[in-house]
Amino acid sequence: MEFKVRAYRFNPETDEKPYYKEYAIEDYPGMTVLNALIKVKSELDGTLSFRRSCRSAICGSCAMKINGISKLACKTQVGPEIEKFGMINVEPLANMPVIRDLIVDQESFFDKIKEIKPYLLGQREDDAHNSFHPLKDGEKISQPVYYKSEFQNLTGNNDTPNCILCECCYSECGGVVGNPKYLGPAALAKLYRYSEDPRDNDKNGSRLVNGSKPDGMWDCVHCQSCEEFCPKGISPVKSIVKLHERTIKNSITFSAGSKHVVSIAKSIGETGRLDEIKVAFDSGGISGLINDLPMAFGAGLKGKIPPLRLKLIKDMEDIRLAYKELDLEEK
Amino acid sequence: MLKHDVVIVGAGLAGLRAAVELRKKGIDAVIVSKVYPTRSHSGAAQGGVNAAFDENDSWESHFFDTVKGSDYLGDQDAIEILTSEAPANILDLQRMGVVFNRNELGGIAQRPFGGQSFPRSCYYADAVGHMMLHGLFDNVLKYKTKILYEYFVTSLVTDNGKVSGVVAYDIKTGKFEGIAAKAVLFATGGYGQVYSSNTNALINTGDGMAVSIKAGVPLMDMEFVQFHPTTLKSTGILVTEGARGEGAYLLNSLGVRFMSKYAPKAMELAPRDVVARAEQTEINEGRGVDGAILLDVRHLGKERIMERLPQIMQLSIDFEGVNPIYEPIPIRPGAHYSMGGIKTDYNGRTVLEGYYSAGESACVSVHGANRLGGNSLLDTVVFGRRAGIDIAEYLKNATESKFDELAVRKDEEAFEKLKKSSGKERHGLLKSELQEEMRADVGVFREESAMQRALDKITELKERAKNIGVDDKSKTFNTDIVEAFEFDNILLIAEIIARGAILRKESRGAHYRTDFPERNDENWLKHTLATLDGKGNIKFDFSEVAITKFKPQPRTY
Repeated sequence: MEFKVRAYRFNPETDEKPYYKEYAIEDYPGMTVLNALIKVKSELDGTLSFRRSCRSAICGSCAMKINGISKLACKTQVGPEIEKFGMINVEPLANMPVIRDLIVDQESFFDKIKEIKPYLLGQREDDAHNSFHPLKDGEKISQPVYYKSEFQNLTGNNDTPNCILCECCYSECGGVVGNPKYLGPAALAKLYRYSEDPRDNDKNGSRLVNGSKPDGMWDCVHCQSCEEFCPKGISPVKSIVKLHERTIKNSITFSAGSKHVVSIAKSIGETGRLDEIKVAFDSGGISGLINDLPMAFGAGLKGKIPPLRLKLIKDMEDIRLAYKELDLEEK
Repeated sequence: MLKHDVVIVGAGLAGLRAAVELRKKGIDAVIVSKVYPTRSHSGAAQGGVNAAFDENDSWESHFFDTVKGSDYLGDQDAIEILTSEAPANILDLQRMGVVFNRNELGGIAQRPFGGQSFPRSCYYADAVGHMMLHGLFDNVLKYKTKILYEYFVTSLVTDNGKVSGVVAYDIKTGKFEGIAAKAVLFATGGYGQVYSSNTNALINTGDGMAVSIKAGVPLMDMEFVQFHPTTLKSTGILVTEGARGEGAYLLNSLGVRFMSKYAPKAMELAPRDVVARAEQTEINEGRGVDGAILLDVRHLGKERIMERLPQIMQLSIDFEGVNPIYEPIPIRPGAHYSMGGIKTDYNGRTVLEGYYSAGESACVSVHGANRLGGNSLLDTVVFGRRAGIDIAEYLKNATESKFDELAVRKDEEAFEKLKKSSGKERHGLLKSELQEEMRADVGVFREESAMQRALDKITELKERAKNIGVDDKSKTFNTDIVEAFEFDNILLIAEIIARGAILRKESRGAHYRTDFPERNDENWLKHTLATLDGKGNIKFDFSEVAITKFKPQPRTY
């Protein structure tokens, strides 16, 4: 069956603005979008530019928007896309500048990966010995003992080390749309991966401190897109939530985001209600309050003014019990 | 022009491992790669990396298994280094942050692999290459290494028998760049794209090998191409040997575990050359299933499949439409690995002073006529590290040599000339013709007249290649022109493979001749060395195999 590939085209040398070009090609059973693009390129139009390498969903080169969604072209079958959309519409990933056609500039993405220090900090003593020398007959090298449980958050099908840095999550991330400087899901998932590593010896917690700075983990807007669109089934947002928990547990609460969370927990623990004015003050201080004034004024005009004094709710005892139980669980 | 002490070309495992070694010492080494490092094909390695750790295992046993696996063509002095340094290298990776699955005692878990007499393959589910690649990449970032990515290296520059740098084409901008260096390491991987139905990335076009032979550095044992027994029927995508390591069966159309006929003791875990031939024989004799063999993991159970082989499960579903929990996977042999490559010693040195190679692009030779599964990842880290150490030593006394900028202009002109060509041949289509011909006639089973046919086809394609034209004339990300030059490289490599295979009149390891079905140690226990003469014709020479501990014996499993 013949079908249509509609490709986003832009060559900065010749085009003032992007346009779309259509190609008609024949499909075959099992044809992937990458197969289709290669067919277009080798038979019809060699100028169509895209990245590709492994064609088996492990290298992350061929991520692009396919019918509006960030996907790996090598892993996406043509058949179901045609059934749903009637054609294959391909565009470059979002949240990064386009260099040409389907190729984006990934520099900012990888800069953010570098920023989180993606490697073990320090070293555990039992693992520091160097065992390099030619072995003699019968000689063996003993290995350090790490139990399975120590790596339980790092080994398994859907876990963060499986990330292939394909940028699908980054392209779909609501947080990056709002704040282009935000580290984004892949970098934060990697931050989590190293902070979970039992071999990491980050004595002063610098990893979590750095991740808590502005544009870091607290800029996640919890839109869940990263989880929804990850082609490897990883959930960066779950890692980010775990990072939030861990920073607060480690009393790394200098960031507005963490203060916000702590203040909400405190307010509910004390009164069973959300003291919005106090939460705003605790999170952003005086300047935060002043910044929020226009919004508060607008809310006031609509009759939505938070009460100045909060009454305890009726079932306060239940809330206290629940908090107690949570505390015990922690311990 | 750029200038660095060391240029590392290629950012897969071998290149990154060498970079870590050099950068740790503070040496000015730059990585040049035609893709971003994490896109390198090392990441697609699935099953395992071998090292003898268990108290009932020994590195000597690993040593012997590898020699036997190589069909005695591997150099034993190098294999001794590979296997005795294996445990330390794995622990070093672990120190650097690589995660391996654990056994009950808290050590690194190990699974059986083909041709290994003990379960000694360390793994991370079925994605150990990915884990190692990203782990090493992270360390390269740790040591703040300069990376020139999306640069395509077109030439080695030499001066008076010494390397003086490389010429690279910046794919992003279309600008040629000379990079002068005292030492150059090529860790440029293999040439799987010479064949249709291969497990390799589209970037694996043998560039480093082609560039080397053009600079006068010999390529060794190029006729030895590994065909992996289990690649998905429709796409050639790899299904790890780890599946058989976990206990998978190979079945023919009669539902019979046919390996009992070919390797009664080792069964499915015989070495790859043996299993690939067995499969092809079953298919040729009419016991295949639509031209394929079935790989059955159902009896392992859902839980074990999900824990140990999750990637395989997903790949089978996404690319073959088969869920291995419920159905057997249709597979067939596919081109996988190049045993041959740039001739080096066990420190990565080539005949050209200051020029090194490591990993799949190199031929040390530790794999001889057939590589054992789990030994290639090991090869990359052991010899990547050794090359790094040797380069650091070499730099202590190395002097700068003259970088002739004419070399840059020469490559630039070749690109410009191609852009201006009004030729009507399309490189993409020529590539398909070449790949199909190589699969059909220089594949698992080989025979003189068929290979001669392949050579005729290559001669025809070389003629037609003169008439290639490219659609894309621009500078920004012109992948059309890069692919045209990649085709040039695989065409040259294909010819070297075919000529070497015709020359070697015996069967050894992965090189099987139906017209010469026996191994012939008397005449052919030697390496083939390919070089180019003044006119660009391929000529062959031979070198001795290092045999230290194990005299050649008949090879049965």
